[in-house]
Amino acid sequence: MFKFWIAFKKEINILLNDRVGLALMFIMPLLLVVLITIIQDSSFKMVNEHKVSILVVNQDEGKQGGQLISKMEDTGFFKLEQLKDVSPESLKKELLKRKRTVALLIPNTFTDELTQKANALSQSMVQELGMGEDSTEQLLPQISALDFYYDPVLPEAYTRSVGNMIYSLLATVESELMIDQVYVQMGMAESSSNLKEQMFEQRLELNSQPITRNKALNPNPTQHNVPAWTIFAMFFMVNSLGNSIIKERTNGSFIRLKTMPTSFFLVLSTKILVYLLAAMLQVVIVFSIGVFVFPYLDLPQLVLPTDWFAFFLVVFFTGLAAVSYALMIGTTAKTQEQANGFGAVSIVILAAIGGIWVPTFMMPEYLQILSNVSPLRWCLEGFYVLFLRGCDWAELQNVLVYLTVFIGICFFVSYWKLRMQKII
Amino acid sequence: MIDTRIRITDIRKRYPKAYRESLCGLGFEIQTGEKFGILGPNGAGKTTLISILCGILQPSSGGVQYLDRGVPVQFREIRKELGFVPQDYAYFEELTPVQNLEYFGALYNLNKKEIRKNTEYLLEVLNLSNVARKPVHTFSGGMKRRVNLAIGIIHQPTILFLDEPTVGIDVQSKLAIIRFLNELNTSGTTIIYTSHHLSEAEQFCDRIVLVDQGKKIAMGPTKALLQQHKLKDLQDLFIQFTGEGYRD
Repeated sequence: MFKFWIAFKKEINILLNDRVGLALMFIMPLLLVVLITIIQDSSFKMVNEHKVSILVVNQDEGKQGGQLISKMEDTGFFKLEQLKDVSPESLKKELLKRKRTVALLIPNTFTDELTQKANALSQSMVQELGMGEDSTEQLLPQISALDFYYDPVLPEAYTRSVGNMIYSLLATVESELMIDQVYVQMGMAESSSNLKEQMFEQRLELNSQPITRNKALNPNPTQHNVPAWTIFAMFFMVNSLGNSIIKERTNGSFIRLKTMPTSFFLVLSTKILVYLLAAMLQVVIVFSIGVFVFPYLDLPQLVLPTDWFAFFLVVFFTGLAAVSYALMIGTTAKTQEQANGFGAVSIVILAAIGGIWVPTFMMPEYLQILSNVSPLRWCLEGFYVLFLRGCDWAELQNVLVYLTVFIGICFFVSYWKLRMQKII
Repeated sequence: MIDTRIRITDIRKRYPKAYRESLCGLGFEIQTGEKFGILGPNGAGKTTLISILCGILQPSSGGVQYLDRGVPVQFREIRKELGFVPQDYAYFEELTPVQNLEYFGALYNLNKKEIRKNTEYLLEVLNLSNVARKPVHTFSGGMKRRVNLAIGIIHQPTILFLDEPTVGIDVQSKLAIIRFLNELNTSGTTIIYTSHHLSEAEQFCDRIVLVDQGKKIAMGPTKALLQQHKLKDLQDLFIQFTGEGYRD
């Protein structure tokens, strides 16, 4: 026990003496988490919380253009700025000048064309119902499109959602006009308002509910970024631990061990324990920042899961996965340069395919399949189960099984390499 | 303390993919309490031999036997009595001498009290007390060699292997280390020592074996060998047996 304690103390002393390594292990993840959460939170707010600032030019000579604008205001989704007597080219320049990201141009034929279409359709409908006079069939007019301009740097999903919102409002305007024209065709023009009121006041609602046991938990950049970038930082200890192993191998300490009445496993186990504790400490520090500091930075507070045992298990297995991977790199690489280079690049790749930057469901199918080999993906999945899916043990079990297999493989490869090198 | 003799019997060693054997049937004995030198040019097999004696490498054939008053002793028993000072520095340069000695002392199964006592003694004797709490990477070459030596003897071994213990250091440090090794030997430690510094070996060793290309080419008490071959010093003996050509 004394031997174990002294070996443990030696690892702590070496780690404490490596100030650059410590900064990388603890300060880098803090910076990463804070910066990326700030960046993503502002774009998250742009999509979800802020009104969309939109320039609108209404060239329409009728009242339907005004109807559309009125409906856009009523949604509360848009912050409209109306411009008058502006050509399309000028509108584009205005868009860039005012730093707005989207604009809408309603053509001067909007009402006329919509009315013609509504007339033709309603006449046709009334004739089919046998309620109107026979007349020649009217052709549906070509409706000029509304021009929707947007800044190309905007995410496609964002512009599509704004466009779809405008499109649904257009459909409402068109429907109302249709109802009016049908009643006109039937000679009951004054009755159309009743029907329109009933239709649009009793509309179908969509009840959006995030699936989680914790009713207070909503997905936001904090809930994703804090665990994701903490995992990234934990795996980046591959540099520190990998270098530590190579240094000991090359500085002769491993050779000395062979002449001593001490098992090599003692040395290895203390190294693993120290780095595992360091990894778990990373989680404590970064998550504490998420809970206590983020609100002061106008960021959503990190909400911790309620199942502490499950939380501990996920953190423990994530730490052990990171340590075992670093151990494997350290025992396999011949030089520190090899360990640093391969270790760092491999973590970046595994993070990318693992969904640290972009969620896996947004990737092409073949990458989604490939992501299954990334341990970071499974670590992140464990945190998702905790943070976003209310800790379903059936799902967590899969994560822990995968991580156990991964850890086992890494330890086996490390053991095999050390045997080949005749260190054990 | 164990009264130990080392018997080396027909040791052979060939490294994987090597074109020749590094050791070709070496055999001799080392007596308890003597200062035994293993000398030879580059590539002679000195480090390989020491590594086999310490248990770092296994021979391809032949064997090493440790004896206690004529009775063979298992290597795992004798390991706690062995000390090894490698040619390359083998410590943690980010740590202080005290931290290094504490760590390696614990691995030698010393308890806290023994480690403290031996550490204080060694730091005093090797003139490292003033820098006991400074990281080793700040030390001069001579100081680093002394730390390397201290780690090898923290547990008071009865058999000490030293692979080029004075390479790359100044004369004063060299003399200090040799003086210390002599004192260690006086207190009963058997010392097996390799070096390129023939004058140093001539002064220090009781007996030597001259090895070249893995074979024993001469062995005996230093003075007797010189008298036998009517040579002035060990360097002449060395050149006579190994020639003047380059050795890689």
